Amino acid sequence: MLPDASSWAAEATAVFAKEWRCELRTRYALSTLALFAFTTLVVVSVSLGPLGVTKSQGSAVLPVLFWIILLFSVAAGLPRSFVQEEESQTATALRLAATPSALFCGKLAYGLTVIFALEALITPIYLAMMSLAVRSPGLLVATLAAGGYGLAAGSTLVAAIIAQARSKGTLFAVMAFPVLLPLLLLSIELTRNAMGGEPAGVALSQLLLYDASVTIAGLMLFPTVWNP
Amino acid sequence: MPSPATLRFENVCRRFGRLSVLEGVSGEVAAGGALLVTGPNGSGKSTLLRCLAGLLVPEAGTIEHDEGDGSLDIAERRRRVGFVSPDLAFYGELTVEENLAFFARLRRAELACGLAILDRLGLPADRRAANLSSGMRQRLRWAWALMHRPRLLLLDEPFQNLDAAGERVTRELLREHLATGLAVVANPSPLEIDRVAGRLELGR
Repeated sequence: MLPDASSWAAEATAVFAKEWRCELRTRYALSTLALFAFTTLVVVSVSLGPLGVTKSQGSAVLPVLFWIILLFSVAAGLPRSFVQEEESQTATALRLAATPSALFCGKLAYGLTVIFALEALITPIYLAMMSLAVRSPGLLVATLAAGGYGLAAGSTLVAAIIAQARSKGTLFAVMAFPVLLPLLLLSIELTRNAMGGEPAGVALSQLLLYDASVTIAGLMLFPTVWNP
Repeated sequence: MPSPATLRFENVCRRFGRLSVLEGVSGEVAAGGALLVTGPNGSGKSTLLRCLAGLLVPEAGTIEHDEGDGSLDIAERRRRVGFVSPDLAFYGELTVEENLAFFARLRRAELACGLAILDRLGLPADRRAANLSSGMRQRLRWAWALMHRPRLLLLDEPFQNLDAAGERVTRELLREHLATGLAVVANPSPLEIDRVAGRLELGR
């Protein structure tokens, strides 16, 4: 018997609210993400700041570094979401009580808000420290939204897969690479276009298609990954 | 009056790698009774209960749990059972009440029911789960397991770490549950429980 839409949404909302409540009391993911992001941001800015690279080098290199900072910040904090459930043995109660798709969406929504908060924090700092001009701010916002969603969906799915494995850290890196590589390439290209004032081209459509594919794959795979 | 519930399992087998833990285990119990599962450590009592709860899938055999609307599939069985086990943990960052409220929303259960059980068990609702003693954690497991009024209760070492008062209340709760529901009880200590409808000894 499938739950109706309102109770499914209530379940997903409950998971989302629980994630934030636990996070705000421990601040594990937030502090890890913020610390990692800030450290790498400062290192990159000091090493390659506005005077360290020429304008042409900057437009090629800086979007790459920006997405690498985002990727590693996310990888440092978000996979804990599922790993913590297994390590603290709360996964058993959750398996017995939650509809898998609602659980996946609740965790995804939590990851998404964390990534959006991170992007909102580091993007203006990065642009200011590197003296980067953005000629198409609308495209940059769309790229951050679509790229951030893809990062959240991809890392949530991979985190769920690795949660029950022994070598979680290694496995996350191995599994996240093929899942997140297309997302990163597209996001970097779109960020370059946004800075150069060029049109989005097909890359934005491809990025949205990637987001939809990862979400559908997550909803289909997650019940099998999560339950026996 | 709800339809009587039944649980029947036949030739249940479960291995972990090369280690065979359950081999052709069968049993049944109907509403109003408890199936008592005993056996030495490592005989597969907890594994059997996890299979019955839908947390593990047996490699062979059948499990039929019927609550009057046909045999439930594994997903529905997971959602409906009440489960008490030493492996069951709650969110240490949340209070007892917040934990119950979270799971009540997931199970579409009434929080008031969980709070009433908490009250009977004498567990402070505003204490963080991380700060509970082992006996208090066991009381919380009972409240969590009964909050959604399950028909089938699966109890693994149900009186573990409870003091005399806690054991008395939980035995009362079990007795009340068995007025209409059914239970599979593994390794109760002491072994005596009311309304035993059948016994299953594993590892012989």
